[in-house]
Amino acid sequence: MELHLNRVDYMQVGVTSQKTMRLLPALGKKATQKVAIADNDGVLTCFGMKKGEPVPVFKTLPGPKVSRLDLGGVLGTPQEKVFVCSGSEVRGFTKKGKQFLTFEANLTESITAMRVCGADLFVCASYVYNHYCDCKDQDYFLSGDKINDIACVTSAHLERPAPVLACQDRLLRVLQGSELRYDVAVPGPPSVLELYNKDGGKLTPHPLQTLPNRRTTGEDVLYGTADGKVGLLKIGESAALSQWVIDNHQKKGGVLCIDTYDIIGDGVSDLLIGRDDGSMEVYGFDSAGEPALRFEHVLSESVTSVQGGCVGKESYDEVITATYTGWVTGLTTEAQKAEAGPGDELSMSKETQTKVAALRLELDQLQSRVLQGRERYQQTSRSGTAVSAVPVFSVNDKFTLCQDDASYSLTLEVHTAIDNLLLQSDVPIDLLDVDKNSAVVSFSECDSEPNGNFLLATYRCQANTTRLELKVRSIEGQYGTLQAYVTPRLQPKTCQLRQYPIKPLSLHQRTHSLQHDRPMNRLSLVGLFSLAEIHSWVGFCLPEVPEKTPAGETLTLYFLNTFLGTQLEATYSKGEGHFRSDNISTISILSDVLSKEATQRKINLNISYDINDESVSHTLRMIHPKLQYQLLLAKKVQLIDALKELQVHEGTADFLIPEYRSILDESQHLLDEYKKQPAHLERLYGMITDLYIDKFKFKGQNVKTKVSSLLEILDNYDLNSLLAFFSEA
Amino acid sequence: MLVPIFTLKLNHKINPRMVTVGKFDGVHPCLTAATQAGKVFIHNPHARGQRPAAHRLSQSAQDSDISLLNINQAVSCLTAGPLGPNTAGDTLLVGSQTNLLAYDVHDNADIFYREVTDGANAIVLGKLGDIQSPLAIIGGNCAIQGFDYEGKDQFWTVTGDNVRSLVLCDFTGDGKNELLVGSEDFDIRVFKEDELVSEMAENETVTSLCHMHGSRFGYALANGTVGVYDRTARYWRIKSKNHAMSIHAFDLNGDGVVELITGWSNGKIDARSDRTGEVIFKDNFASSVAGVVEGDYRMDGQVQLICTSTDGEVRGYLPASKELKGNLMESSVEQDLVRELSQRRQNLLLELRNYEENAKVVVGVSETDSEVGVIPANTQLQTALSVRSATEAQKAHVELSISTPNETIIRSVLIFAEGIFEGESHVVHPSAQNLSGCVRVPIVPPKDIPVDLHIKAFIGGKTSTQFHVFEITRQLPRFSMYVMAVDPLVAPPTGRVTFSINDRPQRVVMWLNQNFLLPEGTNSPDVTFTSLRGGGLLSISMASSGQITLSTDDIDLAGDLIQSLASFLAIEDLSAEVDFPDYFKELRTTLTEVDEFHSVHQKLTAAIADHSNYIRNMLVQAEDARLMGDMITMKKRYRELYDLNRDLVTEYKIRSNNHNALLARLKSVNQAIQRAGRLRVGKPKNQVISACRDAIKSNNVNTLFKIMKAGAAAS
Repeated sequence: MELHLNRVDYMQVGVTSQKTMRLLPALGKKATQKVAIADNDGVLTCFGMKKGEPVPVFKTLPGPKVSRLDLGGVLGTPQEKVFVCSGSEVRGFTKKGKQFLTFEANLTESITAMRVCGADLFVCASYVYNHYCDCKDQDYFLSGDKINDIACVTSAHLERPAPVLACQDRLLRVLQGSELRYDVAVPGPPSVLELYNKDGGKLTPHPLQTLPNRRTTGEDVLYGTADGKVGLLKIGESAALSQWVIDNHQKKGGVLCIDTYDIIGDGVSDLLIGRDDGSMEVYGFDSAGEPALRFEHVLSESVTSVQGGCVGKESYDEVITATYTGWVTGLTTEAQKAEAGPGDELSMSKETQTKVAALRLELDQLQSRVLQGRERYQQTSRSGTAVSAVPVFSVNDKFTLCQDDASYSLTLEVHTAIDNLLLQSDVPIDLLDVDKNSAVVSFSECDSEPNGNFLLATYRCQANTTRLELKVRSIEGQYGTLQAYVTPRLQPKTCQLRQYPIKPLSLHQRTHSLQHDRPMNRLSLVGLFSLAEIHSWVGFCLPEVPEKTPAGETLTLYFLNTFLGTQLEATYSKGEGHFRSDNISTISILSDVLSKEATQRKINLNISYDINDESVSHTLRMIHPKLQYQLLLAKKVQLIDALKELQVHEGTADFLIPEYRSILDESQHLLDEYKKQPAHLERLYGMITDLYIDKFKFKGQNVKTKVSSLLEILDNYDLNSLLAFFSEA
Repeated sequence: MLVPIFTLKLNHKINPRMVTVGKFDGVHPCLTAATQAGKVFIHNPHARGQRPAAHRLSQSAQDSDISLLNINQAVSCLTAGPLGPNTAGDTLLVGSQTNLLAYDVHDNADIFYREVTDGANAIVLGKLGDIQSPLAIIGGNCAIQGFDYEGKDQFWTVTGDNVRSLVLCDFTGDGKNELLVGSEDFDIRVFKEDELVSEMAENETVTSLCHMHGSRFGYALANGTVGVYDRTARYWRIKSKNHAMSIHAFDLNGDGVVELITGWSNGKIDARSDRTGEVIFKDNFASSVAGVVEGDYRMDGQVQLICTSTDGEVRGYLPASKELKGNLMESSVEQDLVRELSQRRQNLLLELRNYEENAKVVVGVSETDSEVGVIPANTQLQTALSVRSATEAQKAHVELSISTPNETIIRSVLIFAEGIFEGESHVVHPSAQNLSGCVRVPIVPPKDIPVDLHIKAFIGGKTSTQFHVFEITRQLPRFSMYVMAVDPLVAPPTGRVTFSINDRPQRVVMWLNQNFLLPEGTNSPDVTFTSLRGGGLLSISMASSGQITLSTDDIDLAGDLIQSLASFLAIEDLSAEVDFPDYFKELRTTLTEVDEFHSVHQKLTAAIADHSNYIRNMLVQAEDARLMGDMITMKKRYRELYDLNRDLVTEYKIRSNNHNALLARLKSVNQAIQRAGRLRVGKPKNQVISACRDAIKSNNVNTLFKIMKAGAAAS
């Protein structure tokens, strides 16, 4: 089944946040739907399309930034009331634009996620969840980490509606009233939740109803993660069942919005997924009920909202997307007609011509107003007392650890074209090339003394670049800050500083399960410190630690080293902290950083170690397959060119031994694999060297002089000789 | 949307920039490209398996359409085209670092095989100026040579550095072709036969040139820049992070005007309008593009654009038909237009909002320390350039100081400039403790070129997260690395150039002020500088008769000064008396060394011939022994062979060292001629160059020096 969708731009509003656009239900049969969209200027716009022109239904006055938009209404009637939240306030509008509700939730923080369900209102503000019924407070829950989104599952299997919270610590928390019913670990920090088929799959007439895993009950929840994965969970009374997960092998962007809509027209609801790298995907389901990619379109900026429906023209289904800079775009099933016949000089339709003319007129007027403004601004420069303060422009940025190649990806998005970007770092890091990034990079000479610069790089962007993506590789143990100065192409020119901490254990990520049979080293701290203090130290050392100290006397967090697969367990309470890891280097880094932090705050720490010598050889054995694979790969890649030459020279490859022939056959794959992980081998060598130094550091020996002989052994790698080298001396 | 009309996978690697199409039998176009292991393949899908394998040519076993040509040397350039007067088909020309081969593919015979000591980095085939027969012109290390169909050396000239690209085009519009040469010293030079008519300075090695139409030509640089020149004026250029591998002119949208087609190192192909540089079409290959050529590959009367990748993938594109209306991309023009206009509207609205919000800020409210970065509206950035001699802590440099007049601080300074930094930019980012309202940037321009410094300074308060960006452009004068001070310990320079001009001294002072960083109030044309690079002295003096004497030991600097002064005063012809005793002494030694290396080279070549005879014998003996089952003898023979092989390898190393040394000497000889030329302007310049060439040819060293000193007219 091939799907062809054509792109149509409808309208542009201000910068939009995640999930701030919805389609109002259609009135009659086959009629087009209206679009409700709210932006960061606080304007809620509702418009419909008439003859290719957007016709506004209503538009509210500017106000504080709108963070979410949802539709609601009395259960059983069309859900056509529009709810928006800005700050800690929720407002409701009828489809005509009449405001009928203003509700102040009295939260200290701004609302980040909202869901409306009949008379029930669910709102979340960073760590807090609140449930109101008819604007009366019902339930309250304090989550262990930031809440990114909320869904509300109602089903016959459940006694009461079960709210599901998507939390930053890779957990979905299923609530019952004010209590946690249970939590489910998902493969990445969930960023969006959506019910399958909007009501949890309840009314879907699935063609595969005979299959055991048919989706006929209303408890299916779709989630999307910040690292680009999508999955389906069946929420049960006491546990959730994972149905499937779409992995993110192609390293696409994080998921920002999900919708289900039958765009293919086969009777099964398809998945519509919008990502922060601008791609919009349609997944259909194959006969086994597994999702399969059917269509992909790449817009140039983050897709903040997506919904299936019909807006542009009657009886043509389409996917409506809203992007970061506020473009509402349709991907329609309507074929784009060939406009002009051969020999016809007019290449534009009348409609477009009037549209363009109107736009040009508006531009001219704006231009003169801008000129006036510019002049006035220039005049102020002559006054001695006037000041110049340009309002802060919004930058949509993300700095995340990619699990696959253990590197950080930094994405920056601005609502207008970026002129240049300056990157500065006070720790040694590597900047990697990203194919998608077309900006011209230039590295400047660095002066580590006295200005502490280890990286100074400028990116000069091509015209119309609103989004930049780059990759950064850090080294564990070396920590500091990466700073980015973004300058957009906007007069008067300003630039904004963004800072990203590179943590000492930067390659670790949170996990919720550990293998307990590994040999572990332990680091224990005892001293006069509060829980909040040690929590902040842990947060200083490791990524993905909640800013706020979670409730409870003792906290336990698990981490996984994304590069080596070693693990770390942190358990701490007031006056006491224990860290257990099978990687001795992790313990060494932690002890260095923690003692430094404590000295800075003049807190007396009692540090004790429990080093398990077994752990070193265990770690080496864990590295072994990776190292062996990389060495073999490097060897094979080295041979490819020579073998190809032989093949050309002899005209055939039949005379080669099978091993070489297979290298020739797989050459493309090998090269791809090799390209994907630049400097992988060097990183592994570096970590083995650290391991060696750290092992003997705990014994009080300095073995830095022996590192060269270690590297010699690595050059002629053999696990046993390496193990022997580690155990001697 | 335009799609390829044919796609081929040739299963042979293609060396970048070594692709051509030739009609070797006069009818069928064949894609010809250099591949691995010193081979050239010829793809001829039109006449399958008609030709027997012999001589250099052998049929590829994998693909019957492909024949392979053994060159047995690393190919460095190739082209095909009509060379001889009596042959129907095209001649294939293959250049390597030591030889040029002209080969008739149809008859399977060498036309000529010439040794070229300067190597062949680039090749072009065609008519040049008034020379009757078409020439194969190769560019090597600082030298350009043209051969006719008999292999006769018809044309020779020198250029400033190693040649990387050549193209023939009618630059002056006189109906005759000029030769455009792109070289490693970042210059594009235009030769009307052997007369240098124009010179355009770029900022990186010029890797490709192509003729567009009329006097317009496209160029590509090693730093990812491509652009179009019309005569000496640059029309447009763009820079990418990828490298342009090949450029070609082709009318892809069918509007009657050729576009610049660029093949990039990341596999992208794009077509850009020759007027604006706007992309009208793009496509992607899986691997780097190797070459872009054109030919009627389907033999249906329509010429296709043929793009090849290094992996051997070939795609052919037909020019767009009328129905596409020049719209080769997927998206529709209307939507793009609407989108672009809306984007502009959005930008204007945002700018307007900036002014409105700015006006709302109450005067005098919270000064520099707020996050937004409020600064006094009358903040103006002051910049100053000055020359700093070397101190113990720092090398000699030109100092750019940037300061604010009030308590605001400079968070960071970005300087974008071409050719003087490692990348295209230089950043100064003081640490948080060292923030102040003044930043000093040391600049050390590596060459004497005028540079525009595009300065962006981030101004704000100490704790701001948003800064005002001040953009200023300052020009760094051409000879900025010279300070007006005389160190009495430094010996006066021995080299000097004397020439006369018919201009007032004031004009020379103006030139000095424009090109040097002089202290205030210098109004005499008699000045002495110390070079910050080498420490040597440079003095300029002008007599009342208009005679100017330049004293310096740096012959390049003298050349630069004369060229710069001549263009400032609009002097067309200028001859000069020259003496650089040290440099000439060096050159004399180089010339004797060249002779020595030449004779060593000949000896070694003879030795190689001996050895290869031995090897042949030994191999036959060894194989004989094997067939006769005499394993002991066979082993012995093979052992001997092994030893011989080892000797050969060492000998090869000696030979290649010798060759490289020879090349370096030849290059410096060529450069010397070029330098002697640069001390003159216009006609005297060309006379000096050709006279020097004649002197070298006749091996008359004394005449050579006489010409270099006094000019060609005196000899």
